[in-house]
Amino acid sequence: MTDSALLLLQAAADSTHAYGEFPVIGARAFVWITAEVHLMFAAFVLGVPMFAVVTEAIGIFGGDERYDRLSKEFTRLLLVAYSATAIWGAMLVFGLSTLYPRFWAYLTTIFAPSMWLYAALFFIESFTLYLYYYGWDRWKKGRAKLGHWTLGILLNVWGTIVMFIANAWLTYMMSPPRDITPTTDPTTIKLWHAIANATWMPINVHRVIANVVFGGAIVGAYASYRFLAARTDEERAHYDWMGYVGNFIAMSALIVLPFAGYWLGREIYQYDQSMGITMMGGFMSWLWVIQAFLIAVLFLTGNYYLWIGMGRIPGAERFRPYTKYLLIVLVLGAIVWGTPHTMIADSKELAAMGGSHHPFLGALGVMSAKNTAVNLMILTTFLSFLLYRRANTRPVVPWARTGTIIQGAMFAVAAGVVLFYGIRGYFVEAIVRIGFSVYQVLAVLSCIVFVTLIDILMTRGAQSLGAIRWGKMPPRSQYALFILAVTFTWLMGLMGFARSGIRQYWHVWQVMQDTSKYAATPALGYASKMISLCVLIFLSLVAFVFWLGGLAEKSTFVAGEGEQGARHVGH
Amino acid sequence: MWATNAKIVGIVLGTLALYTLIANKIPQVQSEVPQALTLGANVTPEQLVAAGQKVYTGIGGCTTCHGLGERAPNLLTDEKGQGPIGARCGKREPGKTCKQYLYESLDNPTAFVVSGYQPIMPVMTKQLSPAQVWSVIAFLESQGGAVDVSASDIPASSPTSTTSPGGGGGGGTAFAGGSTDPKVIIQAAGCLACHKLEGQGQVIAPDLTHVGSRRDAESIRKKILDPASSVTKGYEKLAGIMPKSFGTMMNAAQLEALAQYLAAHK
Repeated sequence: MTDSALLLLQAAADSTHAYGEFPVIGARAFVWITAEVHLMFAAFVLGVPMFAVVTEAIGIFGGDERYDRLSKEFTRLLLVAYSATAIWGAMLVFGLSTLYPRFWAYLTTIFAPSMWLYAALFFIESFTLYLYYYGWDRWKKGRAKLGHWTLGILLNVWGTIVMFIANAWLTYMMSPPRDITPTTDPTTIKLWHAIANATWMPINVHRVIANVVFGGAIVGAYASYRFLAARTDEERAHYDWMGYVGNFIAMSALIVLPFAGYWLGREIYQYDQSMGITMMGGFMSWLWVIQAFLIAVLFLTGNYYLWIGMGRIPGAERFRPYTKYLLIVLVLGAIVWGTPHTMIADSKELAAMGGSHHPFLGALGVMSAKNTAVNLMILTTFLSFLLYRRANTRPVVPWARTGTIIQGAMFAVAAGVVLFYGIRGYFVEAIVRIGFSVYQVLAVLSCIVFVTLIDILMTRGAQSLGAIRWGKMPPRSQYALFILAVTFTWLMGLMGFARSGIRQYWHVWQVMQDTSKYAATPALGYASKMISLCVLIFLSLVAFVFWLGGLAEKSTFVAGEGEQGARHVGH
Repeated sequence: MWATNAKIVGIVLGTLALYTLIANKIPQVQSEVPQALTLGANVTPEQLVAAGQKVYTGIGGCTTCHGLGERAPNLLTDEKGQGPIGARCGKREPGKTCKQYLYESLDNPTAFVVSGYQPIMPVMTKQLSPAQVWSVIAFLESQGGAVDVSASDIPASSPTSTTSPGGGGGGGTAFAGGSTDPKVIIQAAGCLACHKLEGQGQVIAPDLTHVGSRRDAESIRKKILDPASSVTKGYEKLAGIMPKSFGTMMNAAQLEALAQYLAAHK
């Protein structure tokens, strides 16, 4: 008898102990909550250092100390968040090892060495963070400052490697290499073979970008809270500016995120077409309608925040009449993007609809229309940013008028390319149509890059129409930042459900079946309640972290360094 | 500040409630674990139809192509003015009843390819058990027609079928009668429904006449066990169509015999 057969017999013999149970909420809900909240904190502690190090660099090389203070304030939020990440991670591991022992034993058999490395790197990462934060004021000048900045870079390097390792485990569950079957002895699986599976790198890239978006949104929410609680104009101005930076980073990274998502989706299809179909056209098809709604909220709220922000910029009145047209494009785009197409429906529903697609709206539900809509929404959002950026400046270079005309032409060409391929997509085969999305994306990205370059050159030495009146924002703009943070977090939970749910009743896709009583993948209604609960837990804890951050700041202030503390709070 | 805090909490809770409400208002579809299908001697048409619907929307994977209006004909809704499948199946082939037509379509899908579509459907009788196949037929008949499938249609050897993946069909009998004759295996597996070999079969999938010149036995064995492991150039569009169950249907000797036989076709 082979070792594999022996292992199988052993597994069968152990099947009665394959699963544990958790009181009241059940094993699946416990693991769901711990995994999701751990992931949210992990995204926060990975995303925030990314732009902490970028803002510190801007402070160093641009000579603007505001950025350095901003960077330090971001980093202070990380200290408690790291502990929370570790606590929820430990709860997840305890949950998996006691509630899903057979599955956990399988994973550890394959990935044990990477788990040791993970723990070691987390340890190193934590100490790098402590050095980075507590050494801030000590290594403030000259070479020491550059060394300090290097610590920030290292912090990101360790964090990214830690995430890549964890991603290997979860992507192995989704897309184990095809030569691994239910009878493969896990002790014979090479570690790197399991790590370098089909969806590992796409998930890595997608998560790196998503973490930046998420970190930006949470920092934006923090700033908005501090803005609303501010007692002085200086403080309000500082947190208004901080909220703007957080929102800017979140929205900028959000624009790139769909492209990473496309790559991940394509890899899933290539790995297993049935998995891809389950995701896009199977029982999860409605999930994409909800996703479209959430993205629409993000685009509308992000733009709304910018438009309100233009109220505090002298000279922005010139552009205000255009916002209604931008709003129309965004709303129409959101409606098209949210139009359902191929849905799982029973025979009665199909008969009532007159076919598998709606006779009229079905035409708007296809990818040609959706890709066109989302690309136009991205262009519109970019235009909002551009107007915001140009609001209080009047270019003085002699070619300013020509430059503006070229910029306008670039927008028109990009929109034209997007529309052309969107319409042409209705008249070609699916395989050709898929390729069109690449041209649409390239047109939009090219427009963003070249228009930005022209704008930077054109606004050099531009005449100022007045300084931005930071802090002069109505409270509703800050509530918009809260909506953005809640929506980003909820969206993260939703897409986590999509990624995990497409495995359906498999712990490891087509290798290890889930035979527990929770094996069925729940409908979106149940999932949404779980997601909302996780978001609520996370945001409550984050609020606690923010409050702690405020306490630490006050104690420094009271310690007698009055001048130092005052500068630390405001700017 | 309390008023501001209350507003923030209200906005957070309100946003969460809105998203949760919307997600609960849409049709709720849960992905069930495939259950064992038990059809006794007294099974009623209604039970067959219900079981068939589960197979159709679940393990059968029929909705992957049918109902999209692009890859395969609509079955549950009207197809070019002829009504749903139950209403048109009896008129498709002269001399064949609806039941006969549907069974043959599942057993030999290339026999009746509807005009305008490509012959990409796999042999479903090799992927599903007889009980599953007949329950699907009953379900399809119920779409605009009368159900005349009964327990007597289902072979006695397969009163029970589990739908666990990799379980294959076969109703418990040895695949190809346990024969290690490659030609018998090829016939039983229905390879020629898609592949061409020695002048016979279809050319939907790669021609196997000279398969040994581009793949060795190891590669062929791997391809049978895991069809997605590699895709022949020019056939990328058909990736995922070849059933994954052949490896579990055959025993090791059959698989080896088939791999060696095909590898010899230089």
